Amino acid sequence: MFVGAVAPGSQGSLREANSARIVEAVKAYGRITQVELSSVTGLSAATVSNIVKQLLDQGVVQTRATTRSGRRAQEVSLAASSSLGVGVHIASRSLSVVLADSSMALSGAQRLPLPVEHRSDTTLDRTALLIAELADQVGASMDDIAGVGLAIPTALGAGVRPGLGALTGWIDVDIDQLLAARLQRQVLVVREAEAGAVGETRFGALRGVGVGLFVHVADTVDACLMVGGVPFRGAGSAGALGHVRVEPGGAICRCGGRGCLNTVASAEALAEPLRVSHGPMSLRAIVRAAADGDPGCRQVVADAAAAVGGAVADAATLLAPQRVVIGGDLAATGEVFLAPIREALRSRPVLPRDDGLVVPTEDPQMVARGALALIHDAIGPAAGASSEG
Amino acid sequence: MDRSAPLLSLRSLSKHFGGVRALVDVDLDVHRGEVVALVGDNAAGKSTVARIVAGVYAPDAGTLHLNGECLALTSPAAAFPHGIATVFQEFALAENLDVVDNIFLGRELRTRGLLDRPRMEELARSYLRQLNARIPDLGVPLHQLSAGQRQCVAIARTLVRQPQLVVLDEPTASLSVSQTAEVLSYIEGLRDLGLGVILISHNLNDVRAVADRIAVLRHGRNNGTFDTATASYEDILSAVTGATRHEKHD
Repeated sequence: MFVGAVAPGSQGSLREANSARIVEAVKAYGRITQVELSSVTGLSAATVSNIVKQLLDQGVVQTRATTRSGRRAQEVSLAASSSLGVGVHIASRSLSVVLADSSMALSGAQRLPLPVEHRSDTTLDRTALLIAELADQVGASMDDIAGVGLAIPTALGAGVRPGLGALTGWIDVDIDQLLAARLQRQVLVVREAEAGAVGETRFGALRGVGVGLFVHVADTVDACLMVGGVPFRGAGSAGALGHVRVEPGGAICRCGGRGCLNTVASAEALAEPLRVSHGPMSLRAIVRAAADGDPGCRQVVADAAAAVGGAVADAATLLAPQRVVIGGDLAATGEVFLAPIREALRSRPVLPRDDGLVVPTEDPQMVARGALALIHDAIGPAAGASSEG
Repeated sequence: MDRSAPLLSLRSLSKHFGGVRALVDVDLDVHRGEVVALVGDNAAGKSTVARIVAGVYAPDAGTLHLNGECLALTSPAAAFPHGIATVFQEFALAENLDVVDNIFLGRELRTRGLLDRPRMEELARSYLRQLNARIPDLGVPLHQLSAGQRQCVAIARTLVRQPQLVVLDEPTASLSVSQTAEVLSYIEGLRDLGLGVILISHNLNDVRAVADRIAVLRHGRNNGTFDTATASYEDILSAVTGATRHEKHD
């Protein structure tokens, strides 16, 4: 954030690098004294003191007198500029929370693994506690938090109700109201794929892409088309890639349709053929084993990827996106998952033969960051005006 | 991964304390890259298993195999060279010493007879970084750290000996949610490093979040093993309390 017209190697550039290191350290630790800053960054106490003074003048950080080991100390934290927004991503096995002010530079992030079929009451309680603790860690309080963007998986694109199957037992839960009641803050519930697409558009691989497709492959498949930096919703359910029919004679999906992509490429569909040889496996275990080279797990991941690839190729043929970003847990298996998708797209003569067409997401927290961007848009019209798309 | 031979295999483990039967014929397997949770009521024998694996207690009967080799652990010091590291509930940390001293307590690095403090600090930082721990100053005495940070130091301590098996006794007890999140993420990290982990906990939420398998102890006996991917809260709770359908099959 301190990129200026300074010659490399000069004293000025050294100072900028040092000050960037200090800002990074303050971000990482939330509240930290100057003595600790010098120990973390390896800079001398005098340098730290000078740079902190400069950052204080620039309004980047704030300081507070405190004591450590009985001595007086200056505690440094990021300046609580404007209001903080919170992005939350509740998935079937994990909860991610990110925190940032309107500059969108993350000041705090935390991930909590969740149990299988976690209950809505426990998880929402823990979400609320985690938000409060995270705010405290970055030197803010609940009063500084303006709103919460919450991304959840939905199997059906329409409306933002917890999806059929993805979050078991959450179907009739009014998440936004329950969480708003716990936090006394505005809560915006968004579809996981839409949050991920917005995140990629603002911070990731879809920046500056006119027409982009974000495909989220975790327990179920979902997608979101971004047109000119705005999610395309159609009549409401656009992007429900998991409910595209891929096997006309296939199994019945939870939605009631036959042969949906989700019956072929969901966590359950992946675990089923492994049951005899590997025993019951969670999606995370399958992903890890596939990344480690387990042949059986690689096979089911590759099969799922081929099915997803076919659906993505159909969508790409119809919509001609300039870029397709693959996110979600399965993207973590890397080429095992990406290669069959690329192959499926390459087999369509209409589509450009460009390996850069399909890219994996760079940030596993992108969905939470997208939810964060959306809540900032919602709480202040002037806030996140960076959607130049 | 389940097909390979287990890293740790306990068979027919029994332990008596006077008239109290703490463990009766307990079996337990832990594979590499697997987190096995040990749950049960108070006095179900969870900590006794941990202490036997750590070499604190010798079992009255039964065997302990590590990598297929039968071990008779007579003291915690005997367990270290085999790559077994344990973090107990009341972890043995020195409150008045700083973070680096605690991590290397009793295992200080030396170069030519002198303490190699810079090297120890560097390693301590790398362990804590793997933990994603937020401890800025490694020179502060431990009593100034939060409960979660102390837990991180206790777990970081186990990494010094490059263990194969880590036993964690109630690592999330009395931690806040964000500290719990850190500890749970770290347990996932241990598993991803390919280590075997025994996680002892009361909190079924935490256990079901990170464990691959859940072994239930009840009155010192095995009362069922569950795959986390398929077992529900109700299944596990009923095995813990013994109020149920699982009892019928015994």
